[in-house]
Amino acid sequence: MKDFKYFKPSSLEEASRLLLQYGEAASILNGGTDLIVRMHEGLSHPEAVIDIKGIGGLNEITFDKETGLTIGACVTMKEMEKHPMLLEKYRVLAEACHSVGSCQVRNRATMVGNITNASPLADTATPLLALDAFVQVYASEEGIREISIHDFFVYVRKTCLKAGDIVTGVRIPNYDENVFGHYQKHARRDAVDLSTVCASVVKVGGKIRIALGSVAPTPVRLWQTEAFLEGKSLNPEVIEAAAKIAVGEVNPITDIRATKEYRQEIVGVLVKRGLEEIAK
Amino acid sequence: MKYVGTSVNRVDGIKKVTGALKYVDDLKLARTLFAAVKRSPHPHARILKVDIAKAQSLPGVKAVITGKDVSNRVGLYLEDKTFLATDKVRYRGEAVAAVAAETKEIAEAAVALIQVEYEVLPAVTNAVEGLKPDAPLVHPDLGEYHYGPIFFPEPGTNISNHYKIRKGDAEKAFNEADYVVENSFFVPHIQHCPIETHSAIAQMDVDGSLTIWSSCQSPYAVRKALSVAFNLPLNKIRVLSPAVGGGFGGKAGTTLEGILIPLAMKAKGRPVKLTYTREDEFVNSFVRQGMHATIKTGINKDGKIVAVKNTFIWDGGAYTEYGVNIVRAGGYGSTGPYDIDNVWTDSICVYTNHPVGGPYRGFGMSEIHFAIEQNIDMLAAQIGLSPIDIRRMNGLKPGGRNATGQVLEVCGLQETLEDVVDKLNWEKEDYDLNKGIKPNKVRGRGIACGFKAPSMPNDVASSAIIKLNEDGTAHLLVSAQDIGQGSDTVLVQMAAEVLTIPPDKITIKTGDTDHTPYEWQTVASRITYCAGNAVVKACEDAKEQLMELAQIKLSVFKRDLELCDEYIVSKLHPDKRVAIKELALGLSMSDGSGIHGPIIGRGSFIPPNVRNTDKQTGQGEKPVAFWTYGTQGVEIEIDTETGKLEVLKVASSFDVGKVINPKLIEGQIEGGILQGLGSAIFEELILDNGVVKNPNFVDYKIPTSDDMPEMIISFIENEEETGPFGARGVAEPCMVPTPPAIANAVFDALGIRITTLPITAEKILKALKEKNK
Repeated sequence: MKDFKYFKPSSLEEASRLLLQYGEAASILNGGTDLIVRMHEGLSHPEAVIDIKGIGGLNEITFDKETGLTIGACVTMKEMEKHPMLLEKYRVLAEACHSVGSCQVRNRATMVGNITNASPLADTATPLLALDAFVQVYASEEGIREISIHDFFVYVRKTCLKAGDIVTGVRIPNYDENVFGHYQKHARRDAVDLSTVCASVVKVGGKIRIALGSVAPTPVRLWQTEAFLEGKSLNPEVIEAAAKIAVGEVNPITDIRATKEYRQEIVGVLVKRGLEEIAK
Repeated sequence: MKYVGTSVNRVDGIKKVTGALKYVDDLKLARTLFAAVKRSPHPHARILKVDIAKAQSLPGVKAVITGKDVSNRVGLYLEDKTFLATDKVRYRGEAVAAVAAETKEIAEAAVALIQVEYEVLPAVTNAVEGLKPDAPLVHPDLGEYHYGPIFFPEPGTNISNHYKIRKGDAEKAFNEADYVVENSFFVPHIQHCPIETHSAIAQMDVDGSLTIWSSCQSPYAVRKALSVAFNLPLNKIRVLSPAVGGGFGGKAGTTLEGILIPLAMKAKGRPVKLTYTREDEFVNSFVRQGMHATIKTGINKDGKIVAVKNTFIWDGGAYTEYGVNIVRAGGYGSTGPYDIDNVWTDSICVYTNHPVGGPYRGFGMSEIHFAIEQNIDMLAAQIGLSPIDIRRMNGLKPGGRNATGQVLEVCGLQETLEDVVDKLNWEKEDYDLNKGIKPNKVRGRGIACGFKAPSMPNDVASSAIIKLNEDGTAHLLVSAQDIGQGSDTVLVQMAAEVLTIPPDKITIKTGDTDHTPYEWQTVASRITYCAGNAVVKACEDAKEQLMELAQIKLSVFKRDLELCDEYIVSKLHPDKRVAIKELALGLSMSDGSGIHGPIIGRGSFIPPNVRNTDKQTGQGEKPVAFWTYGTQGVEIEIDTETGKLEVLKVASSFDVGKVINPKLIEGQIEGGILQGLGSAIFEELILDNGVVKNPNFVDYKIPTSDDMPEMIISFIENEEETGPFGARGVAEPCMVPTPPAIANAVFDALGIRITTLPITAEKILKALKEKNK
């Protein structure tokens, strides 16, 4: 690992200023479970590491009926997976958090870190896509703004964030009833593995929403499949047909973990199983 | 027996669970320099020029070496390697140069400054291709290499050992058999994945004596290799192995030590340290060889196997100094635990431009049994026998003969088979395998037998010293290494049993070639047996000395004395007794004089009467010290939509002769099952033109505690005549049957055969789709 400067700013202004000052050579340190590994492996060489854990107010989970659920940037996956509000109203997200890495990793890792990495297989991305979440971003000029999660992911390891931007949290709208449906992760091994394909198939406000990971350059929402399901009752034929549309809607690749063809198979299975669960 | 056969707590347990035990990387010596290694980016290339000038002039760099500094060839069985590449590189990652510097960062920066010019050569990246006459030669100088007389390299080819079995007349038997079936299998390269990566420190004193601290299984083997490589006398080399965090074969022989010595020689007395990264561990230490197997079998309608022809082609990698013996073991074990009259085997070790193949728990047996045990099931299916009955009929029994023609007096295979059949309720009609099964799931069960012998030179030696202290405690000195398997505890138990001194009063010291006596290597499932025999002999020697003194002290004939709970006691008049501690430093006479002096027991052992096999036919009466037999059965569940496989239950039974420590042996079997399970469904080094694509735990998966199945572990105890207390080894055999048992269960569940490891969900789903087409 190369030498670097370590900063622990106590305000967003200060953090943003440092980010602008170092530009591309700066990295935000949050849980560190990705950054430190990448630095050790020589994949990242930041000149400045800016630790945002000294900034107050980023480690809270808050809820009100108007705005919904807000999860601060520094909230760990461990805190999320056992949070009563998440478990009750947004269970799919708690399940996705629980599927990440090991207990040790989840004690440090954050959801905001997970999505800002913009891995196509980020476990927490698909529930956020399914739930129409908003990413809250601070920039020194404009203060806090919200970006729709649907605009957030741009490409493999690339988000729409600009220099100086700091994600302060994620907001999920309030839904009158609890989100129904589960997070599904298909991986080579049940524990401590990356998703070969992951899926959030949920029912919110009477609508079915489907988001998949590891099937395209970014995690994706399956709009066509959802449109097909609109207004239909979930009988076996409809489910079968929806699974087929889902397979056609994604574009996975072959890599070291699985072939494109196998991923397509699994997309069909996870969508089918997700819908069957909802139809129960 | 008071101590042998009981679950004595691990003698190293407290230090290990509290983290107090110091491993090599924990050792902080004053003024240590840190090494870094320049490695080849090509799988096969001629080295044209190595320019170290820039590296040498970097501030903080104390020594830079290249292949010129280590040109002596070394190797355990075939001297085919140098510690750094000299004329050419033969695998991607091979060491070309190395640096010692004040810090690791400086050493790494210096390595980046070393410039190497290569002429890239065509590479051998498949063992079968490597056998073709026009294949590039990995070792053109093979004809000049030294090797042991039991190996058969073929200069001018890539074959570094061609081991043959020619028993009976296989061709004739094929012609007469009712059916002749041929099946092929493939086992990929895998890695040991010890929790502690390789680590070593070397220091050369001004008087020319060399000290090496190394995380190694075999301090004496390291000492010998270094002596040959660097022309140093053995009395000038001291190898210490303070603790080993898992070996599984990967820390047998020598790996990184040889890179450190030439650096230490130039470091003016300063210690030089190198600890492998996980990526190094995957690529630059030993890996398990890949293997292509083809088995042709002649079988009669009644189920009797009359002939086999085996072709095992091993992907030995760039150097096969150790691998040639795995190939030999694969040859003399080539029938598996079956009694077959006509056998033709070619077990061929092929040089490739892949990472270096070497010892891995099982030493060839896991690889060949994946093929043999599936083949047996395939034969059973063909002629309509149950997988159990075909093994009952053809499996070895006492008085039977194995591939080398050896008559087996003691053989508990059939007992282990029946034990597993019973434990899994295999033949109970009311047993419901599918109890509680969910939709989209199917279950299956599979069984596999296995055997293994210690694969080692015939005359390998062990020794032990026991020193009695004046308070009745003792020190046991051996160089058998506790690499996690529990040998420290088991050897202490044996000493305790002979001397009647409780285990907690015996301290065991290991792993220091200057102070602990000779042990060949901690490999081959041989320590309980070989080192155990040496310990028993040492303690009997001490006991004999105690008896001599006691008969004077007590005026009782030696023949009427026995040891009992730390005393020498008259068998006839138990009140006549003297404490061991009173005699520990010799016998004090009533006039104040003394005789004899301290009691020090000495024991040496070589397995008796193990002899070479015939060079042409591979036949021999006793080619190995002993065989360990066993059976495992599994129950699995498969998701038919995703192919995902879960192992639900494993029953394991081995004939271990005598269980020395029930708790430890259970742990060892559990570990073996998990390692077998990992190699069955997860593990594979993915190689692409000589490049390991997954040298990390992100993409090379091993089982977690979450993958542990229910394990039913039992033992058969047919005593090993020459074993200590009747014990034989089981460290490696216990992972041998697991993968084929799982493969056989996949067939039972779905009617598909996965003939290559690992059995991934993707392979299962693909095969299932093909079948349902």
